Amino acid sequence: MMMDNDENKFDQWLQDAAKTYNVPPRLAPREEMWAQIQAERALGARRVVVRRSWVRWGLAAAAVLLVGIGIGRWTVLQRSNDGTPVASGDTTGSALVYQLAATQYLSRTETFLTGFRADLRAGRGEAFPGQARDLLATTRLLLDSPAADDQRMRALLEDLELVLVQISQMEAGRDRRNADLITQDMDQRNVLPKLRSAIPAGPVPVRTQGAT
Amino acid sequence: MDERDLINRVRAGDGSAERALYDAHVDRVYRLAYRLAGDEALAQDFTQETFIRAFAKLDTFRGDSALSTWLHTITTTVVLNGLRKVKRFHRREADLEAADGVIGGRRESEPDLKVRLREAIDALPQGYRTVFVMHDIEGFTHEEIGVALGVETGTSKAQLSRARAKLRESLADFAGEWIA
Repeated sequence: MMMDNDENKFDQWLQDAAKTYNVPPRLAPREEMWAQIQAERALGARRVVVRRSWVRWGLAAAAVLLVGIGIGRWTVLQRSNDGTPVASGDTTGSALVYQLAATQYLSRTETFLTGFRADLRAGRGEAFPGQARDLLATTRLLLDSPAADDQRMRALLEDLELVLVQISQMEAGRDRRNADLITQDMDQRNVLPKLRSAIPAGPVPVRTQGAT
Repeated sequence: MDERDLINRVRAGDGSAERALYDAHVDRVYRLAYRLAGDEALAQDFTQETFIRAFAKLDTFRGDSALSTWLHTITTTVVLNGLRKVKRFHRREADLEAADGVIGGRRESEPDLKVRLREAIDALPQGYRTVFVMHDIEGFTHEEIGVALGVETGTSKAQLSRARAKLRESLADFAGEWIA
């Protein structure tokens, strides 16, 4: 009985004392939060549209690469059957396809990373992790393709892979500290200047179906 | 205005109704988020996320419970998931600091009741702490807590009882205060 009485007293005391636990220092900042909610909802609607176009582009790039791989394998088979030696650095159709895919990819990635830096400065960045994942898939396809036979291209693709992995792991644009570290890393590795110098001058040669 | 009318207007895309719904519930949602997160920036993020999800999913609200209960269900889900991510992030930072040889000097515990109480509540298992904060601090009923957390009312009661027992143990030094 005494025990129950003590427990009740404790519960009452605890309830009073606990009112000081995590007391908000001010009233809810209504206007600030409302503005943010409206902005994020508008961005969310835009993100759906943007996401669709990125998915289409990713599929198109992957298709181009797969065609390249197919042509490459077919060429190797044909040459083996003919008894012709398979030379590296060939200028066949497959090499051209890889080159086109790589150029498109580099152009897209340059646009993406430039936008990433600009949007971070403006406090935006919600859509980046998803887009980075799309580009990452293409990066890895290219790393496994003859496009990466060139040492400079391979080094660039590896740098890009590292940057894209970091962006893809950001938490829905809220990871400000990580984002700053990523941009510092990009600067230290001269990623954007290297990327720009790797893109041939002039317009991107091929616009595949579905690319925007 | 009747809540059902308000919901119907929001569903029909009425911006002023959205704002009215937000105004009617934001203070409670924010306070709950703050009590659970203990951080202003996180509480704001969680509140915003709650309303973004609520507006997006309002069509799925069937009206079986009060709108406030439905909103608090979203709030607790958002907050508890968010806190898990924050905890993982802090653990990763702590690992990095340890790898760098930085010794994060543990703060000496102060004999102050307020500080000790906060530490004791923070140290509760997540489920106990959530029920304790919602019931003993924010005044939710066990039925409301049950709906919000997706547990039986009896589970909520049992978790509260265990939370209090743990706190009684942790705060034994202050026994004089409540017995007096």
